[in-house]
Amino acid sequence: MSARRAPAATAPVAGAVGLALRAHPFTPFVVALAVALLAFLLPGPWGPVALYGVVLALAGATGVGGAARTALLVCLPLWLFLFLLHGVLGEGPRVAAGPLRLSAAGLALALAQAGRFGAIATASLGLLRAFRPSRFLDAAAARGWPFHLPYLLVATLQAGPRLRHRAGLVLEAQRTRGLRYGGSPLARLRALGPVVLPLVLGALAEVDDRAMALETRGLGAAGHGAVARTPLDPPRDTAGDRLVRWGAALAVLAALVWRVLAWRAAR
Amino acid sequence: MSPRLLVLIPTAVALNLAVGQLVAALGLPVYLDTIGTLLAAALAGPWAGVVTGVVSQVVAGLGNYMWLAFTPIQVLIALCAALIAWRRGFASAPLALGWGAIVGLLAGAASALINYVFFKGVTATGVTAVTTLLRGIGFTLPQAVVLASLLTDVLDKALAFLLVALTLLALPNRLLGRFPWALRAIGR
Repeated sequence: MSARRAPAATAPVAGAVGLALRAHPFTPFVVALAVALLAFLLPGPWGPVALYGVVLALAGATGVGGAARTALLVCLPLWLFLFLLHGVLGEGPRVAAGPLRLSAAGLALALAQAGRFGAIATASLGLLRAFRPSRFLDAAAARGWPFHLPYLLVATLQAGPRLRHRAGLVLEAQRTRGLRYGGSPLARLRALGPVVLPLVLGALAEVDDRAMALETRGLGAAGHGAVARTPLDPPRDTAGDRLVRWGAALAVLAALVWRVLAWRAAR
Repeated sequence: MSPRLLVLIPTAVALNLAVGQLVAALGLPVYLDTIGTLLAAALAGPWAGVVTGVVSQVVAGLGNYMWLAFTPIQVLIALCAALIAWRRGFASAPLALGWGAIVGLLAGAASALINYVFFKGVTATGVTAVTTLLRGIGFTLPQAVVLASLLTDVLDKALAFLLVALTLLALPNRLLGRFPWALRAIGR
């Protein structure tokens, strides 16, 4: 038996400190999806704002508080546009806000949308921080999912940074060869081909080599997928995980029923 | 799913993400975040394009679930690209440019609808800046959202189709021959 044997199924992820990182890989997915749905189901303006508050508290409590700061940076320009587009340029009765006279309905709409964006961005970035590709693959294998779907997601997440790095190299290489991509929009448009084409052509040439590597591992063989894979270290799906997932699903269902009943009562 | 498709799709999705970085460096008012989807559809047919588009949105959605709402646009573009490839629409640069503009109109109209219904005109900063500008000069919000989406999408998709046609035309026959749709897409 190898000295580098995989840890037992119950062991936490190495280096994982927060609840989000220790949770079963499906749990953060379900929670983030529930937040996205609740953001649109809860009535504005205060429903989404309250949801954002809850998500911020959850992110802090589960060890992915850094996601809240990153989400803030993502949301700030969008919040500014919401304020301009709906508050300043919105229609209907105006309210005084210091030297400005803002649209009352527009402000309410902007507040609701700002809450939605904040909640969704924080939950999504929290999910991204908690996501560990290998644990996700093991969890999918333990559930008996077909290999292709989780492989696609994980291979994509690994290919993204690789190609982004290569994109930077292509840009540097073309600049070294004298490509100028500043100036007028037309000049920048002309630089698009020399920058994008080498990246795309290189990536496609690589497809062949990688496909061959998968074939030599028997992926294209007849009957592949007929026998379920056995993960060495499947993430543990605790009662707490199941409780959180069912709780999130029930919260969405309750909000949906509430909205439908409120809509029928208003008719 | 064949191993070749299983490698092509993640690569195409990663291209959707990486080309955006190059375009941002050039400071152009486009996204080109469907190049991978178009390539997959033109090389391997509608199924590959649709899976690439959906996986792209799911991966983008890991960073912000807001993008999941635009998944139907990726599906629409993948289906259009496959149909255009089947009709040899990538056989020359001007042809691809024209098809791209038409697909841009369709995609712009569809994304304007999603943008207005779910996000009230505020999504990515580039298109939102155009929407705010149009709103500022007197257009109503629905008009500003539709116009901004159409303007950005027509330019974006025309350029994306052009770049995909140039890529397909530059690919060696050895590589083209491995993908069932590619030779037909460029009219060989």
